Amino acid sequence: MNIHTTPQRTPAETALIDAFGDRLSLLPGDGTVMLKRDDAIEAIKSGLPTRRIESWHYTDLRRLLTSVPDFDPAAAPNAIAPIVEGSAVLPVLNGVSSTKTPDIEGIAVQRLSEKLTDGSIAPGLDRYGADDAIGALNTAFVADGYFVDIADGTELDKPIELQNLQSGGQTHVRLLTRVGAGAKAVIVERQTGEGAALVSSVSQLLLGEGADVTWLIVQEQPDTATHLAQFKAHLGKDSKLTLFVMNAGGKLVRQEIVVKTTGEGADFTLRGINLLAGDTHTDVTMVLDHAVPHTASTEVIRNVVTGRARGVFQGRINVHQYAQKTNAKMACNTLLLSDDGEFSTKPELEIFADDVVCGHGATVTEIDHSHLFYLMARGIDEKTARGFLVKAFVAEVIEELDDEAIVEALEARLDDWFLAHG
Amino acid sequence: MPAVQDTIDRVRKIDVDQYKYGFQTEIAMDKAPKGLSEDIIRFISAKKDEPSWMLEWRLEAYRRWVTLEAPTWARVHYPKIDFQDIYYYAAPKSTPGPTSLSDVDPELLKVYEKLGIPLREQEILAGVQKTDVSELEEPSDNVYKSGRVAVDAVFDSVSVVTTFKKELAQAGVIFCSISEAIREHPELVQKYLGSVVPTSDNFYATLNSAVFTDGSFVFVPKGVRCPMELSTYFRMNEKNTGQFERTLIIAEEGAYVSYLEGCTAPQRDENQLHAAVVELVALDDAEIKYSTVQNWYPGDAEGKGGIYNFVTKRGDCRGDRSKISWTQVETGSAITWKYPSCILRGDDSSGEFYSIAVSNGYQQVDSGTKMIHLGKNTSSRIISKGIAAGFSQNTYRGQVSAHRKATNARNFTNCDSLLIGDQCGAHTVPYMEAKNATAQFEHEATTSKISEDQKFYVMQRGIPEEEAIALIVNGFVKDVIQQLPMEFAVEAQKLIGISLEGSVG
Repeated sequence: MNIHTTPQRTPAETALIDAFGDRLSLLPGDGTVMLKRDDAIEAIKSGLPTRRIESWHYTDLRRLLTSVPDFDPAAAPNAIAPIVEGSAVLPVLNGVSSTKTPDIEGIAVQRLSEKLTDGSIAPGLDRYGADDAIGALNTAFVADGYFVDIADGTELDKPIELQNLQSGGQTHVRLLTRVGAGAKAVIVERQTGEGAALVSSVSQLLLGEGADVTWLIVQEQPDTATHLAQFKAHLGKDSKLTLFVMNAGGKLVRQEIVVKTTGEGADFTLRGINLLAGDTHTDVTMVLDHAVPHTASTEVIRNVVTGRARGVFQGRINVHQYAQKTNAKMACNTLLLSDDGEFSTKPELEIFADDVVCGHGATVTEIDHSHLFYLMARGIDEKTARGFLVKAFVAEVIEELDDEAIVEALEARLDDWFLAHG
Repeated sequence: MPAVQDTIDRVRKIDVDQYKYGFQTEIAMDKAPKGLSEDIIRFISAKKDEPSWMLEWRLEAYRRWVTLEAPTWARVHYPKIDFQDIYYYAAPKSTPGPTSLSDVDPELLKVYEKLGIPLREQEILAGVQKTDVSELEEPSDNVYKSGRVAVDAVFDSVSVVTTFKKELAQAGVIFCSISEAIREHPELVQKYLGSVVPTSDNFYATLNSAVFTDGSFVFVPKGVRCPMELSTYFRMNEKNTGQFERTLIIAEEGAYVSYLEGCTAPQRDENQLHAAVVELVALDDAEIKYSTVQNWYPGDAEGKGGIYNFVTKRGDCRGDRSKISWTQVETGSAITWKYPSCILRGDDSSGEFYSIAVSNGYQQVDSGTKMIHLGKNTSSRIISKGIAAGFSQNTYRGQVSAHRKATNARNFTNCDSLLIGDQCGAHTVPYMEAKNATAQFEHEATTSKISEDQKFYVMQRGIPEEEAIALIVNGFVKDVIQQLPMEFAVEAQKLIGISLEGSVG
């Protein structure tokens, strides 16, 4: 079990390295950015992570990433309507941002390619750890995206929707958002498209003092796509972030969530729904750092596993030594509905401070037979009754978001999935 | 509130560097040269007068071991171990195979007396004599009276004495050192040795397979309820030695056995390695209860010295309706790294794991369990209580998995951590893997310090602060203490008091 050998490169690794050579001349960036790209491709050359890397234990990327599509400059995805009517839409079509940006007071939008060219975002391109394969892949290839700057005190009445749409090939996108002190916003991150694409998408969010943001990630890739995504956030003093993640598609999905509380009084809420079907693999991995005293977090993840789907949730809460009075709670509940499906969960607590209250709970089970009986005794047939219970199980998480328009929009996405997957 | 002098004295007495088993005994020892090679293995095998199949088995493990690298994934940090700087065989010279206590070196007996091990206690001693008498006069009449404990004492590399052997034999139970079992019962050893922990299982298990020197062997035949508690005491005495013991317990159909191990070592500045392998086999309807009170030398207050306790323990619920229960109280060792596990192979089998891990000073603990559900309707229960104080790191790491065919697998896991002081760490790393829709897994974990409310509640009833904390901590670990055999629950409670109060004060 401990024999180390230098493995040969897989076709996917070779394809990525070759693609980098081909694309290099087309990638924007000044000297520092290009150096970061070189470092990143070196990391890929040393091999994609395997199950021997602890944070990739349940998602052996080296084995699961069997093929890498070529870049397809001709791909042209169709525009889609935002989930909440009237949202300001910022589309990235096949990895390219739009030159037309909406004009909203208090918001400055810049194309990311410009910020790569002038090198001003170079520091943000660093990987967060040696096992950050998604960060490396994205840094090596990222060509575009957006930088959204919400000024201090701005309160948006409509959501901003960042759309990352693809139609095959490879796309590598980065979405940066800075929310100023006291500002308030709802931001939707849509990840969808068609075809057997390889998508890497990194979102970075910086919350100023007292900022209040609800961020929704709605991932509905086709079941042929590989979706490797990362969401990174720093929470300033007294800021509040509600992150909602819905995974309802993709063949191989890894959504990493890396959050750090950097100011006292910060509050982080994560709500997640993973709807898994077919022969797919979905991994949600969260690393949450409570780095300062008096911060709070709660995480609730609900999973529904059908077909031959494999699901993973890894959640690690680190409480640093000086982060006294931390209050952290995490729950991961799974409904395993088929014998061929599987779900693995690893909720971790790493605690170095003593005056804290931290807890986690995890359950895996099937539908409660007494609940089913209750409904069936009232004349509802088994299939419908099961449908009710499964939907109620996940809808509970959505209903916690107290914005009616958003709850309705997400429930509509949920209905779509149930319609498609019975 | 100022602490009363009595409490202060008590706390001082039980400080980390006041390890009371830290004495060393001068006993003439027979040692193999330092280092590890095929020759050393041949030497050990020859010393033990082993059959050739055993030597081959060891050599095969050794050849495998040289190709392996030491694992590094656990949350424990220590300097690289130089495996060539260890004595792999050290035995008290005056033991050409003692059969009764009178044959044992009195120095050795003194050691065990100091440890408070009841080898020579009056009643036990009377028990030894009675065994001799009972053979002639009244067979098996008083065999089933409870309250007595048969002890196997292991000193460095060899088992020096086993008590109550004859009495146990009357019930059909074989309880002897593993070396003796290899000579006397080769068919049983050959059948079961390595069948739960294969030689190539992991780095330290492979090393153990190559060089293990002694340990206990228990065989409880079909339908027999072992008439008394069995117990092994391990003592590491010699400098620079490693202790590699191997324990094999087999409970045939419908059998029951309760087994306890306890361990201590002298106080030294350098670290010593203890890499044991324990294998349990439970056939249909059998039950094995395995309890550990581990109190190896934990190192001094600065973290110097102490035992590296790298142990592989695994139970195989091979038969239907079998049950294996692990209970452990871990207070010693500089580093504890072990996961007593259950393979729930038989239908309706069940596994249990109860653990209290107390760490203080610079101790590091990375312990937990694995419950592998393979059969139908299997159930498992994990209760783990970690208490970290001082500069210690205390990790629970556990795996629960249900395989495709494990319909109706049930697991309940509860792991709580208590932190005392702001320089220590408590970590929880559970792995849950469900591959069957009918599996039901529940896991809950909490980490906190003793809440002011709880403390206030107890103190306002007139109980001083330190006693209040002790009371709350005792309540915290009660679930686990209850699982220990009566005789040892008291001992365990005392041990926890020792490790904890030193830090509360």
